[in-house]
Amino acid sequence: MKIECTLNGQRKTLDVSSTRRLLDILREDFHLTAVKEGCGEGECGACMVLMDGKAVNACLIPAGNLMGKEIVTPEGFKESPRGKIIEEALIEAGAVQCGFCTPGFVMAIESLLNEHPHPTEENIREGLSGNLCRCTGYQMIFKSVRLAEEKGAGLW
Amino acid sequence: MKMSISKSINRTDAKGKIWGETPYLGDIAFDNPLYVKTVRSNQSHARISAIHIPTLPEGYWVIDKSHIPGKNYMKTVVSDHPILAEDEVLYIGQPILLVAGPDREKVYGLSKEIRIDYEPLPAVYTLEESEKQGMVFTDYTLSKGNPVEAFSQAEKILQDEYSTGLQEHVYLEPQGMAAEFKEDTVFVYGSMQCPFYVEEALTEALNMPADKIRVIQTTTGGAFGGKEEFPSLIACHVAIATCVTGHPVILIYDRDEDILSTTKRHPSLVRYKVGLDKNNTLTVLDIDILYNAGAYAGISPVVLQRGIFSSTNVYNFQHIRVRGRNFRTHTVPSGAFRGFGAPQSIFAMEMLMHNIAISLGLEPIDFKMKHCLKQGDTSCTGGKIHDKIILPELLERALTLSEYRKKIQTHKPFTGIGLSLFLHGCGFTGNGEQTIRGKIILQKKGKDVLIKVSSVEMGQGADTILRKIVAHTLELPIHHVQCEVRDTGLIPDSGPTVASRTVMIVGGLLQKAAEEMKSRWDTEENLEISKVYHHPDFLVWDNDTFTGNAYPTYSWGVNVAEVAIDPISYAIQVKKITAVYDVGRAIDERTLRGQMEGGIVQGMGWATIEVMHADEGTLVQRTLTDYKIPTSTDIPDIVCDFIENPYEFGPFGAKCAGELPFTGPAPAIAAAVSNALGIPIKELPITPEKLLEMKNDED
Amino acid sequence: MVNGYHPKDLIEALKIRAEVSCIPLAGGTDLMVQNARGTGLSPNFDKPLLFVGHLPELRHIEKKEGFLHIGPSVLLSEMLSHPFIPETFKKAISQMASPPTRNLATLGGNICNASPAGDTLPFLYAMDAELILENHAFDRRIPIEEFICGPKQTELKSDELLTDILIPTTLFPVSYYKKVGQRRGMSLTKVSFHGLAEIVDGYVEDLRMAFGSVAPTVVRSRDCENSLIGEPVSTLKSRFNEIWELYEPSIQPIDDARSTATYRKNVCYNILKDFLTHLENIKEIYNE
Repeated sequence: MKIECTLNGQRKTLDVSSTRRLLDILREDFHLTAVKEGCGEGECGACMVLMDGKAVNACLIPAGNLMGKEIVTPEGFKESPRGKIIEEALIEAGAVQCGFCTPGFVMAIESLLNEHPHPTEENIREGLSGNLCRCTGYQMIFKSVRLAEEKGAGLW
Repeated sequence: MKMSISKSINRTDAKGKIWGETPYLGDIAFDNPLYVKTVRSNQSHARISAIHIPTLPEGYWVIDKSHIPGKNYMKTVVSDHPILAEDEVLYIGQPILLVAGPDREKVYGLSKEIRIDYEPLPAVYTLEESEKQGMVFTDYTLSKGNPVEAFSQAEKILQDEYSTGLQEHVYLEPQGMAAEFKEDTVFVYGSMQCPFYVEEALTEALNMPADKIRVIQTTTGGAFGGKEEFPSLIACHVAIATCVTGHPVILIYDRDEDILSTTKRHPSLVRYKVGLDKNNTLTVLDIDILYNAGAYAGISPVVLQRGIFSSTNVYNFQHIRVRGRNFRTHTVPSGAFRGFGAPQSIFAMEMLMHNIAISLGLEPIDFKMKHCLKQGDTSCTGGKIHDKIILPELLERALTLSEYRKKIQTHKPFTGIGLSLFLHGCGFTGNGEQTIRGKIILQKKGKDVLIKVSSVEMGQGADTILRKIVAHTLELPIHHVQCEVRDTGLIPDSGPTVASRTVMIVGGLLQKAAEEMKSRWDTEENLEISKVYHHPDFLVWDNDTFTGNAYPTYSWGVNVAEVAIDPISYAIQVKKITAVYDVGRAIDERTLRGQMEGGIVQGMGWATIEVMHADEGTLVQRTLTDYKIPTSTDIPDIVCDFIENPYEFGPFGAKCAGELPFTGPAPAIAAAVSNALGIPIKELPITPEKLLEMKNDED
Repeated sequence: MVNGYHPKDLIEALKIRAEVSCIPLAGGTDLMVQNARGTGLSPNFDKPLLFVGHLPELRHIEKKEGFLHIGPSVLLSEMLSHPFIPETFKKAISQMASPPTRNLATLGGNICNASPAGDTLPFLYAMDAELILENHAFDRRIPIEEFICGPKQTELKSDELLTDILIPTTLFPVSYYKKVGQRRGMSLTKVSFHGLAEIVDGYVEDLRMAFGSVAPTVVRSRDCENSLIGEPVSTLKSRFNEIWELYEPSIQPIDDARSTATYRKNVCYNILKDFLTHLENIKEIYNE
C-alpha cells in the first residue's frame, strides 16, 4: 500500500504492507530508534510518538492508519523549544535512570502539557499513566513535569 | 571548602537517553545479521522422543545440543541448566532448539513448523508437593544458643506460617544478546549486569579460552537482578549460533517470551515455631524457610543463604535454629531479584512480630523495639555487629514524619497505617567478597582519568556515581573522569553488579586509588593504579558452619505505609509511604532518592498488584496486560529521608542502598491493611480476592 | 496479495465489504494486539484489512430526534472532550485503557470487539442503545443486546459495517459507575457496573443496571429492574437479599488471569447493594 504522511516535518510516501506496525516502520525503515519496543501491546509506552499532536503507541498502529497523518518522534521533537525545556526538566529532576522508557515519557509530557499547560496533580498522574517506568517510582518524573511547566511558561 | 559528596549532580548519561540516542542492543546495526528464535518446551516435565524439522531453505539453520562445542550447561553457582535441552525438559519455556536465518518472517515460520514429540513425565508444581516428595536442591541449617533447651523453658509456644508469590522483574528493555566472530575471537554484546559471569559461561560452553572471548555490555535498560545470571544463557545461545553459522546473530526477546522464560523472584513459605517467656519476650525461634527454585538450582543456593542470614531481620534472639531449603518444581527457574531472598524472609519475620504483638494486645512498635539489635550484639550467624546502630533514631524520624502515633489512634474504617523495620546486608554474602576479590584500575593520561571496572551502569546511576567518587577525590571536573566500556577485553573484574556492592566495595577501591593518584598527580603525567579488595581484618566467616559476619555491615530502614481499602472491591490503595534510611552517607542524594523511590514502588507492586501464578506449570499472567506493575496513578506519595551514619570502610562513609528500599514496603503495607480490616496478613501479594474471601469467612 | 483496503468514503467501503471477505479495522488497539507476532513481524490477519477509522461518515457526534448519534470511528478521547457525551459515560471512558490508547481506540471498535470486559458496553446496554448496520444496499437497526451474541461474537454480517450508534437522550438524575480493575491505571476490568435511575417522590420511576465482565456478555436483568419500578426506594435496603436472588443467576463469571469467579460474584453483590441501598440518598450517588 502507498501511504502519504508526514514524518518529523517531512512529507513521505511509504510503500509498505498495510499491516506493518508504525513501530517497525520507524525503527527499521527510518532508523528512528528513540522509539523503543518494550511490550508490543500498548502497555508500556516506550514506543510513544505524536500523531497529529496526540500521544499514541506506535506498536498499535498499522501502516494503513497513517494515511495523511503527521507523525513526530522524539528525534523530530528534540530541537524544538519545548523539547529543550523537557530535556532540562528531566535532567534537573533526576527523572532518568535506565532510560529505556524516557523518550516515550518525553512524548507523554509534551502531550500532557499541550492539553494541560498548568496540570493538576491528578492531570499529571493520569497523563503519564500510559507509560511504565520500573526504575524511578515516577516521583521524579512528576517533578520534571512541574519543572517544565515553570521553565517553559508560555510555551504550552 | 570542598562541596559535600552528597550534593546532587546531573547524571552524565541523561541527555543521550532522553532523546533515544544512546543505543540499546536493539538499536545497534549489525552487518547482515541472522535473527535467532528459540524453540521451547511446551511441557512441564517430559522426555523428548522425537524432533521433526522441516526442510530448511539455504542460509537457515536449526541448532541443537549437538552443536555445543563445550559443556552443555550454563555456568553459574549450580551449573545444572542445559544451554539447549538434552533428552528431558523440566519446565514450559525451556530452550530446546535455535532457529537462525536472515529473514525474520522465515525464521518465525520455521520455528512454528518444528514439531517436537514428548513423553510426559510426572510433574510437581507447588512447594508443598515438592516438599512432600523430597525434591530438595539445598538444605542448610544454622543455629545459635541452645534452642532445644530454650523451648523447654518457654512460657508459651506459638506456630505460624507466611508465604510470598512470584514476581517478574519487568525491566523495560527485554533481554537480548548478539554475537559475531571477528578473526579468531567471539564478540558477545548484550544487556547484562555481570560481564565476567557471561565470559565464564562462554568459555565453558564454547570450550574456548577467555582471551578469545570478548563480552561487551550494551546500554542496559533496567535489570533488578533479572540480568544477573540469566543473560549467560542467551549469551551461550548467540555465541553458539555465530560459531555454527559464521554470521553475526541477534536474539532479542519479545516481552511475552521474556515473561515466559526468564527467572523470577522465588516464591517462599516460612514456618515458625517460637517461644516466649513470661514477660512476652521472644526467647527462641525455630524458622523453617522453603524457597521454590523452579526447575533448576542455578543461583538459588546463594539466594537462600541471604534469605536465611536475613531471617531474624533487625532483631536479636538468643536461641535460634534456622533451616532453609530450596525445592525443585517443574516451573520456570527462580533467580536473582532485588533483595536476593531477603525480602521474603524479612516479610515473614516482620509480620510474625506484628501479629504476635497484636495477638498479645501490644503495640507492634514497642514489641519490635524490645527485641532490636544493638551495637555489639550478634547476628543470627553469631557475627558481632561492629557498627553503630541508629534504628531508634530512624524509627523516631519516621514516626514524626508520618504522624504515626496520632494516625493509628484515629484511623477511620477501611483505612490503616502500618510500620516495618528492616535491614540489608551490604555486599556479597559470607566470604563472597574475599573470594572474588574485586579489582579496579584507575588510569591517568595527562589531565584525564579513566575508570576501568566491570561494574555496569544499568539505570541505577553507577557511571555517574563512580565518576563522581573519583572526580571528587581528585578535585577534578567530572568530565575529566570517564568510565571504560564494559568490554571484558579492556577491563579488570571488579565483580558482578549485584548485592548492592558497587558503591561500597568498588567505589571504595576507586576512592583509595584516586587518593593515591592524587598524591602522585603533579609528578606523573601518565599513571595506572590498580586496587584489589581485602575484607577488613576483624570480619570472620566460616562457610561450613555459617558462623561469623555474614556481611561486612548493614544498611537499615523504617517504612510507614498508609492505605485505603475500597469497601466494595477491597482494592488496596497505598496512599503514602514514609521512609527513613541509614545507608551510611549518600554519594549523591538525588541518585540515592531515585533508588529509594523506585525500590519502594517495586516493593509495593510485589506486595499488592503484581499477581503471577502458574497453573500446572503454565504461567497464567504472560503479558503486561495481565501482569500489572504500578503506573503513575497507582503510586503513593513518598516521603523519603536519610540519617547519616558513615561507615568506616565505605567511600565517604557510604554503605549499600540499591536493594534495601525494596524490602520495607511489603510488611508495612501488610501491617496497614491488617490495621484497616482487623485481619492478620500472612501472604503476599495481598489481593482484593483474598481480602474479600477473608472478610466473608469472618462474617 | 492485497492485505489492506483504504476506501475514500463509506460507499467505497461498503462496496469492498460486498466484494471481499475482510476485517474492518478502526483504531486497531484490540486487533493489532490480538494478532501481534513480535518485533519486526507484521500482525497476521487471516483476511485483508478494511481501514474505516478515517471515514468521515463514521466520525459524527450529533443529536437528532431523541437520540445521540455517535459515529463508530469516533475516538474515545474525542468523546471525553465532547459536550454531548453524558458525564456518566465519560466517567466510564476515562477509566478505559490509557491516554495514548484512548487517542486511537474507537467506540465502534469497543462494541465490535464484543469483549465481555468492554467498558463502554454496560452504559450502552443500560441506555438501550441501538446500532445501525449497513451493507451496500440496505441498513438495519438492532439493539446492542441483540448485536453482541457472545465473547468476540456479533451479528455483523460479512458485507456489513457498523455505521451509527444511537443512544436515547433520556437523562437519568441518578447515575453510578464502578470499575474494578487490577490496578488504578490502565487495566482490564475484573467487574464493571453502570447503574442509572430516576426517583420521583421516593418511588423508583426508572431503573437500569448493567454488569460488565461477569458473564459472556453484559448482564442486565430486566425482570429485576421491572420488579423494582414503582417501588418505594426506602424498602430496597430491607429487600436487598430478595433482589439479589433475582439477579444472581445471570451473573456467571469465570476464573481468569485477572481475577476469580468467586471474587467477581462477591463484588457484584457489594456493588448492587451499594447502589440500591444508597438510592435513597441520591446526592451521594450522583457525586460518586
